[in-house]
Amino acid sequence: RSDVRIAANFVTHAPPGEFNEVFNDVRLLLNNDNLLREGAAHAFAQYNMDQFTPVKLDGSEESVLITEHGDLGQGRYFDPRKRVSFRFDHLRKEASDPQPYEGETALRSWRDACDEALSAYVKEHYPTGVCTVYGKTVDGQQTIIACVEGHQFQPKNFWNGRCRSEWKFTISQSSAQVVGVLKIQVHYYEDGNVQLVSHKEVEESIGVTNETLTAKEFVKIIENAENDYQTAISENYQTMSDTTFKALRRQLPVTRTKIDWNKILSYKIAASCFSNFSFMLVQWAITSFNTPSGFRHAGPSS
Amino acid sequence: VRVIVRVCACDCVRVIVCVPSLCEDLLSSVDQPLKIARDKVVGKDYLLCDYNRDGDSYRCSTEYRDLYFEGGVSSVYLWDLDHGFAGVILIKKAGDGSKKIKGCWDSIHVVEVQVRAGAPLPVQTGINNVNCFYLPNLGNMDMENKIRSTLNEIYFGKTKDIVNGLRSIESLPDNQKYRQLQRELSQVLTQRQIYID
Repeated sequence: RSDVRIAANFVTHAPPGEFNEVFNDVRLLLNNDNLLREGAAHAFAQYNMDQFTPVKLDGSEESVLITEHGDLGQGRYFDPRKRVSFRFDHLRKEASDPQPYEGETALRSWRDACDEALSAYVKEHYPTGVCTVYGKTVDGQQTIIACVEGHQFQPKNFWNGRCRSEWKFTISQSSAQVVGVLKIQVHYYEDGNVQLVSHKEVEESIGVTNETLTAKEFVKIIENAENDYQTAISENYQTMSDTTFKALRRQLPVTRTKIDWNKILSYKIAASCFSNFSFMLVQWAITSFNTPSGFRHAGPSS
Repeated sequence: VRVIVRVCACDCVRVIVCVPSLCEDLLSSVDQPLKIARDKVVGKDYLLCDYNRDGDSYRCSTEYRDLYFEGGVSSVYLWDLDHGFAGVILIKKAGDGSKKIKGCWDSIHVVEVQVRAGAPLPVQTGINNVNCFYLPNLGNMDMENKIRSTLNEIYFGKTKDIVNGLRSIESLPDNQKYRQLQRELSQVLTQRQIYID
């Protein structure tokens, strides 16, 4: 049914921290809880996995991320650091029923080294960051997958924001490609509605030697790329303000003074008394200050 | 009917598919991006909105549009009221389409002018358009400038601050610095207030 599909689609596109609000709105629109539950259950799970939703297991100080890489099916996910699987309720966002889960033992030392190095990095750069590192065989290749998430939800101040990054490389050969995706989404809606949605793909080569050295190099690559990305976003704001936004609507006319409406009106009145030639002269005088500018994009490519 | 904050223009159609009875309410309360149509007789572009589904159109205030927008399309639709007149002034300026940038500024100004009994009548001039008398009052409305400044400084500025609160380029060596950063961020964010009349 197209309306359930649309409802599910609205939910998967909820800004970070606003899933409940969108879900409640959509629930009112559809007015059929059973249909919503059955038809959109996959959407709730998809949303939480896309968003790298953090969850704390009972009695644990640390969080683990809900991602596609930890999906065991039947609503169960695993924590590769604690070596535990658990049931996850996608609507309540709660974990339960922990069971031991060994994961791939062959990759354990590599996974642990990368997790240790990455956790230290996340503590240094993300005030509220969480990371989860997997060691898995993917398409026959032994792969390290690192996921980082940091969010701030302040609905009382009408804003929410989240950044996520996912980094992968294979350890089967002495040289590999680190592939990364960085995402930022910010929603500010006090008396208005503004969203920043940005992503960037990164690729860098890495030498695969031993666990400790490789983990260190891996995290260095991540740190440099994420710093560059954050810097570029800040710079783009300035560029956007100086050029793009101005090209849509200037703060002041090129004459640098606000329009004098009485003058324009008197030009019109005067013009109607004189010949066409005089009127054209006045028009030309007003518009001759304009110089074609269009867009001057000088920002960094991203 | 509960108002849904997050409905944006392109989602309107999808909400209407779910709840057809909301159609009229939604279309009249949610602003859609302005569409451009072409008047083949005069050879000029004009703008479509809810107000001109059956009306005449005038071209007006091109000086204003060109000085602030350096191009773009504008249309004005006026209609009589019992004691005055009302109108909508539409402006649409799109980016020059250069590859890396896409943007569009849509303005919809809705205006109502009430003429009280006993007020001096506008002087009849050689121009056959009495409404030009009101032009200086209409033109001085500074809403667009306020909104543009607000967008630039507060909305864009604030989202940038939020990004920098999610991640720090500089190291946060210990808890103390993090608490400090949090405090500073809260201060900066609460200082950025919006004043819209």
